[in-house]
Amino acid sequence: MAGPQTEWGGLTDQEVVLRARSGQETAYRELIRRYERPIFALLFRMVRDRELAEDLAQETFVKALNAIESYRPEFKFSSWIFKIANNAAIDHLRRRELDTLSLDGSPHAETPEAMQATALQIGARQETPLDTVEAKELGTAIEAAIGSLRPEYRSCILLRHVEGRAYEEIAEILNLPLGTVKTYIHRARNELRLSLAHLKE
Amino acid sequence: MTRSPGSHLSADEIDACLIGVPTPEIQRHLDQCSQCLEQVKIDREIAELVAALPLTSPAADFADRVMARVVVPDPFAIRSLQATRRRLFSTPRSFAAAAGFALFLLGSMAGSVVWSLSHQETLAALGSWLFAQGGQAVWLGVQGLASNLLEQPWYGGLKSLADNPGRLAVFSALGSFAYLSGLIALRRLLAAPTQQVAHAGL
Repeated sequence: MAGPQTEWGGLTDQEVVLRARSGQETAYRELIRRYERPIFALLFRMVRDRELAEDLAQETFVKALNAIESYRPEFKFSSWIFKIANNAAIDHLRRRELDTLSLDGSPHAETPEAMQATALQIGARQETPLDTVEAKELGTAIEAAIGSLRPEYRSCILLRHVEGRAYEEIAEILNLPLGTVKTYIHRARNELRLSLAHLKE
Repeated sequence: MTRSPGSHLSADEIDACLIGVPTPEIQRHLDQCSQCLEQVKIDREIAELVAALPLTSPAADFADRVMARVVVPDPFAIRSLQATRRRLFSTPRSFAAAAGFALFLLGSMAGSVVWSLSHQETLAALGSWLFAQGGQAVWLGVQGLASNLLEQPWYGGLKSLADNPGRLAVFSALGSFAYLSGLIALRRLLAAPTQQVAHAGL
């Protein structure tokens, strides 16, 4: 008898969605199995709180699966569910008004002057990358450096380098122009480079 | 794409270096520009460090908790109605449109009731006029039907039969017998079989 993974292994996301729409509960579970880790990992790195990340991941899946009829198969299912997850994280971060560290200023700033004028300071409650470097924990330092990025930069860099998504797909997920996505990733790398510079010393 | 001499690599060109092998033109620039080479090296290190972060998992009962809040569609339900309902509640705009339409209908009905209550005399007059017109139309129809029957060729034979009581009784008895025979035959035809059918359990 074939196991659940081999039974679903040959099916694309779109085919699994079609089965879910026809009322197969196992198809819903297969979609959760395929995306629970990447969605949770993205949210965990966005909000840096395990319990909260689980709540947001649960909210993401409940919202996506209850609206499975509205999913359009011509788009990638992964883009759709990542978009819902990213929106949930960004909404939460905006509500909470997390203190963020930015070395480049507003992500919408077009000129160096504007960027300098809109640059934010390190929040008092923020765990600084320097503190983490002193702890000599590379993984924690990277996590902290990513956590110090603006939410928009964070989404871009995680989707690009952790999830391996193409620029076009990131643009679709975040509903941003392709050029903006490239700019955000470039700026995020610059910020990470500066944040992690102490590691090399 | 050609770059002006002396300029550094663009973000797209640096990104191209991270994705794969740089083009000969970019490679030539990297061989000469230590600043760009350092930037590519650091960006590559950052990309690798971020990519190497462990993929954390949610709790083991995550799927069960999600499924407890998911409404799986009933495969035997009317799909079109379900889809319509989901579409109506999918966005605030569609919900507002549906709510507006429902309010319009309810308002129309309420307005109709209020108007009827405040114009009872008009409605009564309209009702009697419609009743009179309807009654007249029905009476004309009955008259037309009767005159049509009287003009039929078999009407004379039927009338002569009714004039002879003995013949009428015989015809009535024959008619009743035929009706009862038909009824019994139909009942037998529709009766459930009393014996088990061999393949019924398959």
